[in-house]
Amino acid sequence: MNADRGELAGTFKERARKALGDAHLRVALDRTTGNARTKRAAAVAAWPDFDRARAAAAAIKDHALQNFPYYLEQFERNALASGARLHWARDAKEACAAVIKICRETRAKTVTRSKSMLGEEIGLPHALAEAGVRRVETDLAEHIIQLAGETPSHIIWPAAHRTREDVSKLFEKHHRDHLLLTEVEAMVDSARRELRDDFFSADVGISGANFLVAETGAICTITNEGNAELTTTPPRVHIVTAGIEKIVATTEHALQLTRVLVRSATGADLTQYTTFHCGPKRAGDLDGPEEFHIVLVDHGRTQMLEDMPEMLRCLRCGACLNHCVVYRKIGGHAYGGAYPGPMGSAITPVFDGLEPSRDLPHACTLNGHCKQVCPVDIPLPTILRDWRAKSYRQGFESRAVRLGLALWAFIASKPALYRAALAVALPLLRRRGKDGWISALPFAPGWTESRDFPAPPEKTFLARIASGEEA
Amino acid sequence: MVQNVHPGGPRVGLFATCLVDMLRPNIGFSALELLRAAGCTVEIPKTQTCCGQPAYNSGDDASARKLARQVIEIFEGFDYLVAPSGSCAATIRVHYPDLFRAEPAMRARAEKLSAKTWELLSFLVDVRGFAPTGVSCKASATYHDTCSGLRELGIKTQPRALLSAIEGLEMRALEGEETCCGFGGTFCVKYSEISDAIVTEKAENVVATGADLLLGGDLGCLLNMAGKLRRAGAPIRVFHAAELLAGRAIHAIGEEKP
Amino acid sequence: MSAHDILFAALRRLCPDEEVPDAIAARAGALARAMQACLPPLEFPDLVENFVARVTAEKVGATVEVLAGWEHLPDAVARYALAQGLEQEVALQPDPRLLALDWGFVRDVPLKSDTMIAVGVARGGIAETGSLLFHSGPDAPTLYGFMPLHHIVALETRTIVARFEDYTAQEQGKPHPRNVNFITGASGTTDIEGVLARGAHGPRRLHILLIG
Repeated sequence: MNADRGELAGTFKERARKALGDAHLRVALDRTTGNARTKRAAAVAAWPDFDRARAAAAAIKDHALQNFPYYLEQFERNALASGARLHWARDAKEACAAVIKICRETRAKTVTRSKSMLGEEIGLPHALAEAGVRRVETDLAEHIIQLAGETPSHIIWPAAHRTREDVSKLFEKHHRDHLLLTEVEAMVDSARRELRDDFFSADVGISGANFLVAETGAICTITNEGNAELTTTPPRVHIVTAGIEKIVATTEHALQLTRVLVRSATGADLTQYTTFHCGPKRAGDLDGPEEFHIVLVDHGRTQMLEDMPEMLRCLRCGACLNHCVVYRKIGGHAYGGAYPGPMGSAITPVFDGLEPSRDLPHACTLNGHCKQVCPVDIPLPTILRDWRAKSYRQGFESRAVRLGLALWAFIASKPALYRAALAVALPLLRRRGKDGWISALPFAPGWTESRDFPAPPEKTFLARIASGEEA
Repeated sequence: MVQNVHPGGPRVGLFATCLVDMLRPNIGFSALELLRAAGCTVEIPKTQTCCGQPAYNSGDDASARKLARQVIEIFEGFDYLVAPSGSCAATIRVHYPDLFRAEPAMRARAEKLSAKTWELLSFLVDVRGFAPTGVSCKASATYHDTCSGLRELGIKTQPRALLSAIEGLEMRALEGEETCCGFGGTFCVKYSEISDAIVTEKAENVVATGADLLLGGDLGCLLNMAGKLRRAGAPIRVFHAAELLAGRAIHAIGEEKP
Repeated sequence: MSAHDILFAALRRLCPDEEVPDAIAARAGALARAMQACLPPLEFPDLVENFVARVTAEKVGATVEVLAGWEHLPDAVARYALAQGLEQEVALQPDPRLLALDWGFVRDVPLKSDTMIAVGVARGGIAETGSLLFHSGPDAPTLYGFMPLHHIVALETRTIVARFEDYTAQEQGKPHPRNVNFITGASGTTDIEGVLARGAHGPRRLHILLIG
């Protein structure tokens, strides 16, 4: 959907290489993810039972998913009773079409939008542009990347790839005051001034949803800036776009999940603004939208329910990105999809197909840090490994890789052959060494491009044991 | 089969792992000595090769199963399987049962072996209550927690407890000690540039400790870090913790000149 | 078949073990209690003390003044405006308790996009997080909490409960308002390098007048 965007051009390896060569990007990523890790660690340290709470949170999400049709139907019933209008979409195209149709019926010229990763996932910014609707992103980071003409590179900090110096330049160029600002506070002020009028003149406000509450039919948004409420309250029409997996049983469950979600995302106890929106403006209300639409999107969720149900627990907190050694080095754009990092690598193949995205589950060291910090204990390494197995079974792996693995398994399953092969290979390899180190490996040039490899000994451990050496 | 009989002690099958077997026999000998010192009867089955982890993590489950079956057959008769590697032990302990989820009989055997499979350092502490005596090493050292051991097997305090018994060894904290070194098995070759960026940061943190030695519990990770430190010209010496504990830390990785 | 029907057919196929509604509700209740059994500890046993500690903590960053009664509110607002160097004009949330007060020389002005001060009344507080609770309605429009640069909120201490769970228990069986807002500190953003800056779009300052 965004293949024309410069930062998303090329293959994964090409994008990763470009990112690795960008020292500026490294500074931006280190600052944002470093701050996020420090704050999360402090928040978790202050909650001795955090690990038990993670399990409890996972169980709360699982419960909703185990009773998916029951709760979704309950949500539908209660939302309709609140005066909301519901639209169901099987895929990205249907979801965008539903939003555009409402915009057309409203004769909307300008829409304000509060950050929603689902919107990015379904390509809503692009669809609005094609429909000729002016889109104003109100989340500060989304505003920054809208000015830069980019896509988000992080699910919580979409402008994680931008330093304060970048933002300063962008604001100087695009904001009507054209001021050169050096302090973050002053930049935030400038954005506040810039976006103020749009909040109140927009025809439609679009938000996502962090939760769909079955027992009330309400949708929940959580933000720190207050832009969700300013986006959704003044315009005549509020459109919610939400993945169906956001369903939870009760308001109590939603609030309980925020405890682990927010700590994992920003290290706060709760976001500044946690709001449950239930239907349009009511009799006597002085503000609020006259129309309240909820677009409920499948786009692969039912497929995930079948293949990797744990993934539907995901609260989109971003902790797995901040703790991922790969994400921290290459940033979000290298992943090529709406969602980067471990959770992105797990779900992008569902949206884009495995063959074009097969690098994502492979470009991971399976170190497990993502699972450790996940507030709902999603077994991300297992899911990524399952994708690798699927990719192997479906024949997407290169011939060289398949042959190499098969050869290794063949030799290693014949101990006598294995011993004989090592007896020949090790001395050969050993001869390549100089001062105990090999600086160019014939079979693994990737290793020695940037590292030395120790020269192997003359004889293996088992050979020495077999020859009677004890210790 | 080499045997060393300690009446009453458990019969341990030492799984050297393919990397130790090929590249660093000294870790195998260190493991052997430590297990014996901890009162075990140690056998080193000579038909052992590889646990199948490279195939497993590459998605080639059929090859992984082939090698897993072999490991199960070789080691299921022992009281314990012990390996001087967190990632190989985790493959057997955590992943073998899953690998045979469609074969109930094999799965049962995999589960049995899983339950008695241990990484060396945690086995010494948690099962044998072992502490080395009479080992000294006048040096400063820092410890990197290798990921599989740390997160799949819960190995964190055990190596430090063992190392604290070494006289003269000064341990220094490593910034990001629980952060992956970028090895990741085949990852480091397939995505070598990303791996390099990760291990570069790791090497910088290791150098910043000013320690003489870098220790860990997984040879793959140690090779990655040692290779980077050597390329970067950093003089820090790299050992498996078992080598130090067994008093066999003479030549560090890359120091055994022909 | 419509998208709705196709989706539900797929979900029903994938979730075949659905229980009866009572059993599902019982399970949902048990899960909520399981979370309640491992909550983050409260720093102080006294709810008001804990609430004040949370809202004034650095990461929430509100200020608090304790008042003996509603009648002291206009004075406290006037003092706040003076201290901030602001005009003595405020947008009063149309809450009868506020409108009934004698505001003296403090002028009540309509809420606008550049309003400096709005004065509102919170319906309750959550001690655990230092959150203020608002239900939208004719006497509590949502935007009073979002449009001004300074948000002054009156909160009766007796309405402070310990946890979210206490709030949801209170609300059980009652109709859901259009908006329920939990406001925890002033507007902030960490979108530039993860550094917290205040007053992104909502209020830059949150001042709470506790009425005991």
